[in-house]
Amino acid sequence: MIESARTYKANKVVERMGKKLNRQIVGSLTACVHCGMCTESCHYVLANPDDPTYAPAYKADQIRKIFKRNYDWTGRVFPWWVHAEDIRTDEDLHKLKDIVFGKCTNCRRCSINCPMGVDFATLNRMARGLLVSVGIMPEGVAVVSKDQWEVGNQMGVLPQEYLETLEWLSDELESEFGDPAARIPIDKMDADIVYTINPREVKYDPRTITDAARIFYVAGANWTMPSEGWDMTNFGLFSGDDDLGGAAAQRVYDKVIELRGKKLVISECGHGYRSTRCEGPNWAGKETPVVMESSVLTMLRYIKEGRIRLDKSRNKESYTFHDSCNNARSCGFFEEPRELLNLVVSDFREMYPNRTENYCCTGGGGAMSMSEYTPERLKSAKIKADQLKATGTKVVVTSCHNCVDGLSDVIKHYKLGMKVEQLVSLTANAMVVPERAAVAVPVAVALPLQGYKILVVDDEPDILLFLSTVLEDQGATVIQAADGEQALELTLREKPDLVTLDLSMPGKNGGYVFEEIRNNPEIATTKVFIITGKPELRRLIYERPIPPDGYLDKPIDQDALLNNIRMVLELKHAHKLSS
Amino acid sequence: MSETLNFVENDLQLMALGFMALVYILRIRWLLKYKASKDRQAPAGTVGTSSFKGIVYSWANIAMPWSMESTRRMFFFYLQFVVFHLAVAANITMSFVIPYAPDLMRPTAVYRLLQLLFAAACVIGCLRMYRRLTNPAIRLISTPDDIFSLALLTVWSFASIFAAPNNYEQGEGALTTYFIMTAFFLAYVPFSKISHYLYYPFTRFYFGRTMGHRGVYPMKRSAVPKPTSV
Repeated sequence: MIESARTYKANKVVERMGKKLNRQIVGSLTACVHCGMCTESCHYVLANPDDPTYAPAYKADQIRKIFKRNYDWTGRVFPWWVHAEDIRTDEDLHKLKDIVFGKCTNCRRCSINCPMGVDFATLNRMARGLLVSVGIMPEGVAVVSKDQWEVGNQMGVLPQEYLETLEWLSDELESEFGDPAARIPIDKMDADIVYTINPREVKYDPRTITDAARIFYVAGANWTMPSEGWDMTNFGLFSGDDDLGGAAAQRVYDKVIELRGKKLVISECGHGYRSTRCEGPNWAGKETPVVMESSVLTMLRYIKEGRIRLDKSRNKESYTFHDSCNNARSCGFFEEPRELLNLVVSDFREMYPNRTENYCCTGGGGAMSMSEYTPERLKSAKIKADQLKATGTKVVVTSCHNCVDGLSDVIKHYKLGMKVEQLVSLTANAMVVPERAAVAVPVAVALPLQGYKILVVDDEPDILLFLSTVLEDQGATVIQAADGEQALELTLREKPDLVTLDLSMPGKNGGYVFEEIRNNPEIATTKVFIITGKPELRRLIYERPIPPDGYLDKPIDQDALLNNIRMVLELKHAHKLSS
Repeated sequence: MSETLNFVENDLQLMALGFMALVYILRIRWLLKYKASKDRQAPAGTVGTSSFKGIVYSWANIAMPWSMESTRRMFFFYLQFVVFHLAVAANITMSFVIPYAPDLMRPTAVYRLLQLLFAAACVIGCLRMYRRLTNPAIRLISTPDDIFSLALLTVWSFASIFAAPNNYEQGEGALTTYFIMTAFFLAYVPFSKISHYLYYPFTRFYFGRTMGHRGVYPMKRSAVPKPTSV
């Protein structure tokens, strides 16, 4: 009877809640005694003392009442007695959305202040996941989730963009150190460290990548960055979507395993660290053999081992440290950043409260991507602003990219005149670079495409010449075909590693050739890279059951061509050549 | 002792206890029906933390008011909690002692101390009721069950003050009222928020296990701030 009164979406939410319930969650849903001890632990409450709807217990009750009405028999028999209430309309779902996304950053401060051990943050994340599963979420959450599912990272950084960024950062490093070995290795096999980052670093703050690379270089580390699976952040944590969480984490683990990396090092990002280090195996549903650590630990070890030397007088300001909620309250990671900070700066002043009791930067839980709640977020940030101001420092250091953005907003909004820094930048700045011409890192002499056989197919002689010249310059063995018939014949005879295929050709066109390659078991696994001046044709071919391995539109850009071809071939062994 | 008092002291109590135990078994069975999620990640955190330590710390958390900011900040409220819960525990014990070991209640000091405790619980119950009805945040989350449970315990504590001397020769009214209320209390508890103690070991166990595994528990408190130079 209850079911029929619900909308389709509301019904799905209730149904899926049943599947999400585990003993921990049921315990948290039944054990609350409404004592109100959690109330003042929430920064939203402290900044909005006149609005009781910000109280963690109230927010949790909006989830609890659905549970009670549908899964706890006291609520089913006496709903009014225990405030059990069903969720019926899409409007109810939207109201719940505004609470679980807009009034809580999942910082877990209330959870650690609950005498009963009720984990509000976990309940809130579960509710987010239920709403996301029926498409009810802030727009920003939808956009970012989509990017992470489709592009493989939260900010939709395209592979080419990522590789190009690393390329020019490498060029800068090389020129800074005057050493051709001072580059960012990509997809190097058997490295001691596989370094993963936040896409924000590529998009807005590549300086942190350079800083890390400088430290690795000076420390003489055997390290690499992966060409894919490089985003250790995970929007599944914020959206409550365990499937996304598991997929994103697994993508990172798989790449480390593929590269036979000894350790996965996670750059300074609170939610990335928590997602990859702590939650990923839980979401993916299996343990991972990958050994992981925060880059803070790596830097600390280099200092302790004497692999990098520091002059902390170079960091001249007064500094305080902000603990990321995900690092401190969900991963117990709070002493090591302090130890490192004390080694790289002279004037460190603790903020209060700190460690597991620190207040959220107010930009956590994905709040930075939910612009519709920005006014509430900034209002609640008054607590954080007061806390920062009381330190009397000029710089707030944090080990989290999300906190960098959250704190920067708070500082700007409340005109605090402070700066936000990360430990990697302070460490790189304090690092004493030894006088040397070059670091003893072996330089590979092989050309990037050496050992690969590539068949280029195009009916235009100029294009054939161009492609052949560019690919041969990179070491590839190139064979040419001017039409579809010849292309098929050469593919069968020469068994190339890759075929670059023009679609629009007289006679047997590229589409036909592609289909024939895929249908012939002898050559079906040959990698095919479509190059066409008619993108609309490309779309047609992409709808085939097994799509091509890559594509590029004409006119052909040389760098884009090489990047893309390397990406297609790297599935086998391309980037080991780059180091 | 009249037959009525004898009945409410013995048979009625056993029936109520039996009923409570049965419902509790069903509730625990219901909770255990849900699968416990696993922590698949490698242990994290600082040296000196572990799942086991986390569980122990989590269970003991309530006895360490310094361990949580909320109990430090609301220390008077925490003291109320301690006294109130001690009184309830003493009250339940008394409901067994009177029928089965009445000699333990004979010394004046014992029942006077108990009366003091029950009176304190009664006052605390009133204070908490006032808070529940006047504090907007608490009022908003309060259910009829929250209010009724608190009222029940407060009135029960009040009735206990008069039952503690266990002097049925001077009138059985106080004892009869007390035992009827106790029986009602026992029968009602499994359906109410008062049964939170049944879930406490579970919530605290799992929360402590996770937090210990991740190095958060045993928790490190905020270091005292150094004076700033400004």
